[in-house]
Amino acid sequence: MEPVVYLYDGTFAGMLHAIARAVKDGGAVHAITPTHRYTPTLFDTVITLKCDADQADRLLQYLQNLHPLAANLAVYAYLSGEGGVEMQMYSFVHLCLRRGKQALSYESHSAVAHLKGLFHAVSREAHRYKGLIRFRILADDLQYGPFEPHYNIISLCARHFRRRLAGCRWLLHDLQRNSALYWDTVDLQPVEVDTDFAAYVALHGEVPAAQLSENEQEYQQLWRAFHRAISNPARHNPQLQQQGMPQRYWKYLTEM
Amino acid sequence: MNTLDKLTILADAAKFDASCASSGSNRKAKPGALGNAAASGICHSWSADGRCISLLKILLSNDCRLDCVYCMSRRSNHCARATFTPDEVADLTINFYRRNYIEGLFLSSAVYASPEQTMSDMVDVCHQLRTKYAFNGYIHLKVIPGAPQELVAKAGMLADRLSVNIELPSAASLKELAPQKSRQGILTPMRQIGEAASNYGAERKKSRRTPKFCPAGQSTQMIIGASAESDLHILTLSQSLYTKMQLRRVYYSAYIAVNSAPNLPMPSTAPPLVREHRLYQADWLIRFYQFQAEEILQATAPNLDERLDPKAAWALRHFDLFPLDINRASYEELLRVPGLGLTSARRIIATRRVAAIREEDLKKLGLVMKRARYFLSINGKKLVAAIPSHQDLLTAMCRLEKPAISHLSPQYRQLRLF
Ligand code: SF4
Repeated sequence: MEPVVYLYDGTFAGMLHAIARAVKDGGAVHAITPTHRYTPTLFDTVITLKCDADQADRLLQYLQNLHPLAANLAVYAYLSGEGGVEMQMYSFVHLCLRRGKQALSYESHSAVAHLKGLFHAVSREAHRYKGLIRFRILADDLQYGPFEPHYNIISLCARHFRRRLAGCRWLLHDLQRNSALYWDTVDLQPVEVDTDFAAYVALHGEVPAAQLSENEQEYQQLWRAFHRAISNPARHNPQLQQQGMPQRYWKYLTEM
Repeated sequence: MNTLDKLTILADAAKFDASCASSGSNRKAKPGALGNAAASGICHSWSADGRCISLLKILLSNDCRLDCVYCMSRRSNHCARATFTPDEVADLTINFYRRNYIEGLFLSSAVYASPEQTMSDMVDVCHQLRTKYAFNGYIHLKVIPGAPQELVAKAGMLADRLSVNIELPSAASLKELAPQKSRQGILTPMRQIGEAASNYGAERKKSRRTPKFCPAGQSTQMIIGASAESDLHILTLSQSLYTKMQLRRVYYSAYIAVNSAPNLPMPSTAPPLVREHRLYQADWLIRFYQFQAEEILQATAPNLDERLDPKAAWALRHFDLFPLDINRASYEELLRVPGLGLTSARRIIATRRVAAIREEDLKKLGLVMKRARYFLSINGKKLVAAIPSHQDLLTAMCRLEKPAISHLSPQYRQLRLF
């Protein structure tokens, strides 16, 4: 049989289902990719899948039972949004079927090394943003946190803040992907942000002054003053500062 | 004076404090409360000196009654003075926390009233945060030397971490440079905190309802380079603080020559940043790499080599133990290889259980071999064509030091010339 290209709908469940299906078919696989990323060529045998949530669930459950990390590798690979992770996952699942739990320790296997690398990169960014997101308190006491992460980590950040700021209403806004999650002290839900507002924030890195709460700017100023004063001029070292906090994070940082 | 001016003065005065870690406390979120403490620690920003900012690090006051020779805030210095009210500090903490500027509060203070009054105001800040604002984030509180027992006990119930600064590495230096502080005034609360923490810990094993006492443990700080103690003396002291006093961290703070006095380094002296960095590395070896202070340094050569990280220096002195085989060496042995960290060693052991490691696997395992290759072999095969002479190896290892070191101080670049 010709190597096959599997196309899926771009969702996490869709990806898992496509991988499960490819493993089950047992033939040569040329690629597994979301439909919107696929450019047809003359030679491919294409199978377009409709997401089967049960199949997806079964694969995730299998990985979870093997080891929670195995399931996490799938989740984080998906959140990385990188091209080609599906094939890495496909090859990883094969390895799991052959080696069981040991597959996870096989760090010199290229799929394991790659997926673990992505897992660390994505969790590192999520961890960084736990500290680097800056909330602005708006006039109605809503805490608004804009950011532009490299990976699709908004859900990981939300998981952190729903514990930490459980009693506050907040909104996380990924301006890179224009997706937003709103926490109303009880539930977390995706919301749409007004386009003019989003455009203003993306351009200025700040919320229009008229929408800020009364003393927001005062606290921003206090924070900037603290940030300046806490630095020790005898050790001035902007390179080290940038190493911890690269420039691409600066846009929404009140203090920079 | 408004809050902005006070904040500027009191953050400025706190900047010489080295510790800012917020890790080690796992304070779970509670319904109706604000915040939690992340066990792994979160950095919220980096200041222009390249240090991570995770806590609102300020003094309650810099208006000191005492006159420690090395201190910027000492009574005989002329500098801008300010004192916060406890309410102001609590309000700042909450407002910074909600905006996600900080992980919590790190409050220290000059002794602006009696030690009792000063400590009691600091405890008041914590009390307000925990009760009035239901604040459940991280608090690190400095204990004022000479503070009464009841206040220390109360502080331990409110704060995540307490610290009593040991200030100087020996009683003699303390007497000379901080004559109004006594060794007893420092060691007594330190011991009290250690004992209370282990008592509450034992009670908690019996009943989960026992409250936590100072759950992130105790730390301390000492000034390096204001007095004459050797690195061996300092590391031995740290080691005993870790083992005998159960301290969680010892911070080293390179002395910045702010005052002139006959018994201090000249005000033009640059702070010994490289030395401080090497001490941190050696401290790390003691805490995580199973080294003893006496292995790192001996009485015959009691100071760390500034050109070289202490593990590389140890390995060069014990070169007859190497090369170790990557497929056979134990975890403890791997930890002693320069260039291999905890993660690398763990990864090597894990992989070996599945398949023997081949030379082409090293990169996939993410191992950086630049330094390690002189000390490792794979199935009997050396990783370098020929092991260089001791002198060449020393030169090579110095050259392979992390580039960050060269930013630490201009002197260091001169050192590297030979
Ligand atoms: S007690 Fe503290 S603030 Fe006061 S002079 Fe001594 S070191 Fe400085």
